[in-house]
Amino acid sequence: MSSGGEEDHLYTFDENDSDSIELYESQNTSEFTIHGLATPKLITVISQGSEFDINEDEDGVDTIYEGMLDIPITKSSKRVLCEGSVPNLNYECLTTKGIFERILQRVDHLQPIFAIPSADILILLQHYDWNEERLLEVWTEKMDDLLVQLGLSTAANAKEDKDFSLHSRKVEFKDDFACVICCDSKNTETFALECGHEYCINCYRHYIQDKLHEGNIITCMDCSLALKNVDIDKVMGHASSSKLMDSSIKSFVQKHNRNYKWCPFADCKSIIHLRDTSSLPEYTRLHYSPFVKCNSSHRFCFNCGFEVHAPADCKITSAWVKKARKESENLNWVLSHTKECPKCSVNIEKNGGCNHMICSSCKYEFCWICEGPWAPHGKNFFQCTMYKNIEDSKSKNSEDVNKTLKKYTFFYRLFNEHEVSAKLDWNLGQTVGTKVHALQERIGISWIDGQFLSESLKVLNEGRTALKWSFAVAFYSDASHNLTKIFVDNQMLLANAVEFLSELLQIKNPEVIMKRKPEFYNKAGYVENRTTALMECGRELLCKGICKVME
Amino acid sequence: MGPADSPYAGGVFFLSIHFPTDYPFKPPKISFTTKIYHPNINANGNICLDILKDQWSPALTLSKVLLSICSLLTDANPDDPLVPEIAHIYKTDRSKYEATAREWTKKYAV
Repeated sequence: MSSGGEEDHLYTFDENDSDSIELYESQNTSEFTIHGLATPKLITVISQGSEFDINEDEDGVDTIYEGMLDIPITKSSKRVLCEGSVPNLNYECLTTKGIFERILQRVDHLQPIFAIPSADILILLQHYDWNEERLLEVWTEKMDDLLVQLGLSTAANAKEDKDFSLHSRKVEFKDDFACVICCDSKNTETFALECGHEYCINCYRHYIQDKLHEGNIITCMDCSLALKNVDIDKVMGHASSSKLMDSSIKSFVQKHNRNYKWCPFADCKSIIHLRDTSSLPEYTRLHYSPFVKCNSSHRFCFNCGFEVHAPADCKITSAWVKKARKESENLNWVLSHTKECPKCSVNIEKNGGCNHMICSSCKYEFCWICEGPWAPHGKNFFQCTMYKNIEDSKSKNSEDVNKTLKKYTFFYRLFNEHEVSAKLDWNLGQTVGTKVHALQERIGISWIDGQFLSESLKVLNEGRTALKWSFAVAFYSDASHNLTKIFVDNQMLLANAVEFLSELLQIKNPEVIMKRKPEFYNKAGYVENRTTALMECGRELLCKGICKVME
Repeated sequence: MGPADSPYAGGVFFLSIHFPTDYPFKPPKISFTTKIYHPNINANGNICLDILKDQWSPALTLSKVLLSICSLLTDANPDDPLVPEIAHIYKTDRSKYEATAREWTKKYAV
């Protein structure tokens, strides 16, 4: 949707309220039908599925990046195309393991310059926070001092070379060894570096174990001689040195948190590395958010570290989350323990007894279960198990919500509901895989053909998140403004679309799924369109200052 | 005993030493129970000494640690102070610091 069109629209809107809502809707719908975006778009996504990786790789090879370790990236660089005038984000998704592999490559590269064993270079790099330039600077100035300082050689080493060669780095078995750490004499394995400070293997293990998570260089217990990764593995008996490297790289990431961000999703070990952060202010200015996606397909905002929160921007998001934290404890309790009096809307807690409630403030008698008047219950109790459409009463409420808390409660409830639904959708996602499998087995369709299911699910998830955060935007928006009304209408449209798609995805019977496949395409495309429309609309609210955080 | 070449000479200072369960892999917790006027020791007797914190090594023995504490009394480390006021006086008016330290020693440690 072009912004020009949007503006024109706004003006018509001013003249006649009800008409323009229709106009707005129809314009959106027509856009959807005329361009026929829905189906073709989804198909392209599906057909790209297999080539996707290849495309990305080519992308990565073409571009030479600069920055950490100066290695051209060959893999997993991704481009995000954002509508409008924000520059693309060039970022890559890494893991600590990936970073370490790259460091090893660099070490191999540097080896001829330093002319010392690779393991020593690794220690030097570790000391300088993996910062090559700083290391090289210091190295050229005072090479020997550095080696001594970091315990790669001792000052005595040079003079008394012979003495030192007596001791080698190895685990030995000794009878009746007296360890000065644990003060025990026993037959045990021992370990010592060239310095000859020898301790029993248990003490050494204990010592190293404690130090592994610190990420610093581990030295001999009695002098500054450094343990190399091979030594650590020798003592610990398995690949423990990788743990040390892991924690060292973790602290590196933590220190450089402007360019590196951990994926905020639980148990996800991905790190997103953004080389050029100069474009981030531009994102903020235009109320876009720099969303990135890790290799496990978790999408989050690089700026604030929250999950994808469009149409809200980072400011709205953090304000909303803060507010939610402050008030949600109370609110959660109120939501789960009380009901509003159907007549006067006062919150009522039922602390026991029967379902015949009498509101203490307005004396209205009602049924706790169905919230209807009590009068008919005496004769026909089971009336209240009848299904009641709650949605209706809620949308009615929205019109006369004026007080902030009430307004907040309202939006928070919606926000919460969609969060819960999103979680359920996530569970649904777990079953989709099995469904696709069932489709393949029972009806014999190809894997590619079955992908529309997971694609639809993805669209559903995105729609749901957008919807969820849109309530934060709605909360901070000036409710009387026309654009807010448009926004709310957009919300409703998306909500309906999302519910419909969600319903479709609940279908379990493979035959029915295949029969209704076009519907999946249709609805998914529709949800996609509605999502973009809502995001754009929300951004406009932000850009025009209709939606802002009030202090 | 306060070191002879320091304003703490003649004083007897008591320390409390607490050994954690995973000693010697974790440092012992040492603190002064006698009041002392020193830039690296606060009113609660806590000592700011690197080997009692991150520079601890299992190979350090108690006598080495006590020796370090003794030398800390002779040569304070005002650049990494626990009590900034004392460190400030130590750096700007050394004689005033020494006088006060001697006074405290007389008052609390003799």
